[in-house]
Amino acid sequence: MTQPDVIVVGAGILGASAAFHLAERGYRVVVLERGAPNREGSGTTAGNLHIQAIHTRRPGQEVPVDSARLLPLQLRASDHWSRIEEQLGADVELRRGGGFMVAETAAQEQELREKHEWERHAGIPTEVLTGDEARERLPLLSDRVRAASWCPLDGYANPLLITPAYLAAARRHGAELHPFTPVTDIRRVGDDYKVLSGDRSWTAPVVVNTAGPWITEISALAGIHIRMSPVAIQMHVTTRVPPVMHHLVQHIGEGMSVKQVSAGNLLIGGGWPAAGLDMAGRSTVSLPSMAGNLAQAGRILPFLGGLRLLRMWAGPLAATPDEMPVIGEVPGHPGFFVAGGTYAFTLAPVWGDTLCRRIAGEPPADPVDDLGPGRLLYDDATTPVSP
Amino acid sequence: MADVMTESETDVAVVGGGPAGLHAALVLARGGLSVTLIDESDTLGGQYYKRRAEQLAVAFGDFRPRGTELIREVRDAGVVCRTGTLVWGAEDGGRTLFTSDVRTGVLGRVRARATVAATGAYERSLPFPGWTLPGVVTPGLALHLATMDRVPVGSRVVLAGTGPFLLPVACALLEAGAGIEALAELNHPYRPRPSAVAGALRQPARLAEAARYLLTLARHGVRVEQGARVLAAYGDTQVTAVDIAGADGTVRRVETDALCVGFGFRPSTELPRLLGCRTQPDRTGTEQLPVVDADGATSVDGLYVAGDCAGIAGVHAAGVRGQLAARAILRRLAPGRTPVRVAGLRRRARALDRFAALADRLYPLPAEAVADIPDATQVCRCEGVTAGEIRQAVATGWNDLHGAKAATRAGMGPCQGRECGHIVAALARRDEAEGFAARMPIRPLPMAATVEGQEVR
Repeated sequence: MTQPDVIVVGAGILGASAAFHLAERGYRVVVLERGAPNREGSGTTAGNLHIQAIHTRRPGQEVPVDSARLLPLQLRASDHWSRIEEQLGADVELRRGGGFMVAETAAQEQELREKHEWERHAGIPTEVLTGDEARERLPLLSDRVRAASWCPLDGYANPLLITPAYLAAARRHGAELHPFTPVTDIRRVGDDYKVLSGDRSWTAPVVVNTAGPWITEISALAGIHIRMSPVAIQMHVTTRVPPVMHHLVQHIGEGMSVKQVSAGNLLIGGGWPAAGLDMAGRSTVSLPSMAGNLAQAGRILPFLGGLRLLRMWAGPLAATPDEMPVIGEVPGHPGFFVAGGTYAFTLAPVWGDTLCRRIAGEPPADPVDDLGPGRLLYDDATTPVSP
Repeated sequence: MADVMTESETDVAVVGGGPAGLHAALVLARGGLSVTLIDESDTLGGQYYKRRAEQLAVAFGDFRPRGTELIREVRDAGVVCRTGTLVWGAEDGGRTLFTSDVRTGVLGRVRARATVAATGAYERSLPFPGWTLPGVVTPGLALHLATMDRVPVGSRVVLAGTGPFLLPVACALLEAGAGIEALAELNHPYRPRPSAVAGALRQPARLAEAARYLLTLARHGVRVEQGARVLAAYGDTQVTAVDIAGADGTVRRVETDALCVGFGFRPSTELPRLLGCRTQPDRTGTEQLPVVDADGATSVDGLYVAGDCAGIAGVHAAGVRGQLAARAILRRLAPGRTPVRVAGLRRRARALDRFAALADRLYPLPAEAVADIPDATQVCRCEGVTAGEIRQAVATGWNDLHGAKAATRAGMGPCQGRECGHIVAALARRDEAEGFAARMPIRPLPMAATVEGQEVR
């Protein structure tokens, strides 16, 4: 189909979710992907479902996330995720084993309590446990854990399964997926956008830019200049072991997430920086980050020291300069939508639904005007901060 | 100990203590450079010059005494030998190697001015129905048991696959007391075309070696059945029977208690690939080999490859290549210190390469090896992924090799695709030969030291 209703650029989790929600409502959708679907950030991320507030900065992250602001969206995401396997007719290894966020110092414990207040206001069930209470629930936690907040809604889904499941469901509803189809130009033709990939083209009144770290590049083809600050972060996975832990364990003070995935491997991450972002290939892992992340995880969960590191990898994170998500229509460019930024994995179902409602001319389930791309626009003449 | 382990500097690091690494280390050390030879095993020697455990050596004698001698020469020349040490990562063109003590997990870093990757080869397995049954092993394992421990892998062994390696394995099995029910060689190497004979005659020593093996087999009444292949293995808890298709297509069932199947060797190129050296497909078209000059220098400055890691050519070529790489490094790092003559070695290396090429022609891989794997047969045994599952993932049209891996988990297990990668690649191939990328850690890395906060740098 060369004249769809919507052209989605980027087949990561956000593009896939948008395509699904739109196609399910009857929109004719074409998804264009420069490489293989789910190859970049969406397929290399940890797969955490963050329902309790994400208050931790990645190592090296300068600007904090406005955690309280995101909580209503996380609660909404929680509802979406609990229906997702049924909705998509697919097993995505969804686990809602709950999650701990641990504190090692008095100051960190205080942060847990503040965070708990925001969560209470937002209607997200959390409780603050003493170290002993936390260890009672998860004896693998070390004595270093002084306190922990607990949220029964935290969880995990397999990043290698959810995006393909979204895409498969979108295709069942008639969406077209074109992998290995890099967008080379976007032109305004009347009220429509003509999106080209070499000598092929598609024309539609609506373009959804979910190109992750390439959001800036794709927008620029349409003469839109959006400031993003993509980085590469890395993940670590151990060899398989029998089930030992079904919770997500995070740290309030430093980037850390640990969980055991369905296959039995322990996945250790926390947004530690890779050696550098390589947009053309795979970013290179950083050994100091490996050492730092594993040492910190082992301090909280000493049993990790008995395991073997199987593999590590790096992937891009489509961060924004203010570390908040970006979602909505670009001011002055009707029909050109952008979605990306922080915690895209957790928020993917919400963003898919939000984009769909916006394109249908309906208000989103939760207000997101403050997260629109307007704040990230810069003048053609100025140079964006290079990533 | 920990202090010694964590940091060291050397002129040249040689990774792999087999024939290529030993020869390289010896030449380098005698040429006046400091050399650190690193091997994952407890003992030097690699596969070919494998050492018997002490008590077994006392009981059965020295295995391949040339290996013992070579190792002694290497030690006497002052080479720092780090056995039981895994090289799990590298950067800076191999000038920094990351190591882990196999027993303690203690991390280390070796800095070198040049590095020789002499990491050898793996046996090539091709999946067939029943290949994951206990009792189905590679010829290399059977050889190891027979030569190191004098333990026959079975009493009624079926040996199959292709390659000259099947002959010494068969002989070693007979010597260890095994009975050989069948020796099925896929190709017809032992009634070769005249051109092949002419090529082989240029390597009389190799020819005599093969003749010796064939004679031993004949003496034991073992017939090499040419043009025959294993179709499937059967058994509940252990292999008990094998279907063999003869050259004429007739299938017969053979009772057995051990099936050894191998299709030659595949170079172990993780280290040079990890360091980003330029590669090209090998003669079989199934493996990516480092592109090297006549001395084994790769496209990465200061990184050399030697031995089977540079392309399968066997023990004699490994020794020559090791010496060539060493001499090239000597010319570079110790110019003028030693007279370095290489013309003869290079000639010898070329002759051995031609012989290896001849072997590749005499023992080609089955043309439809991968296409013929039934859908229900496991390809990735670490993660239990079948050929059908991989084909299905590829059939979606949007999965290349990496997509197929992500969709099926093929190649995500403890071996990280070392065993199955070439099969998955062939099943998923879009354009040209490509395989799973080499990643750190090259082997699963004990995390104890890292978790205790030992600095990596």
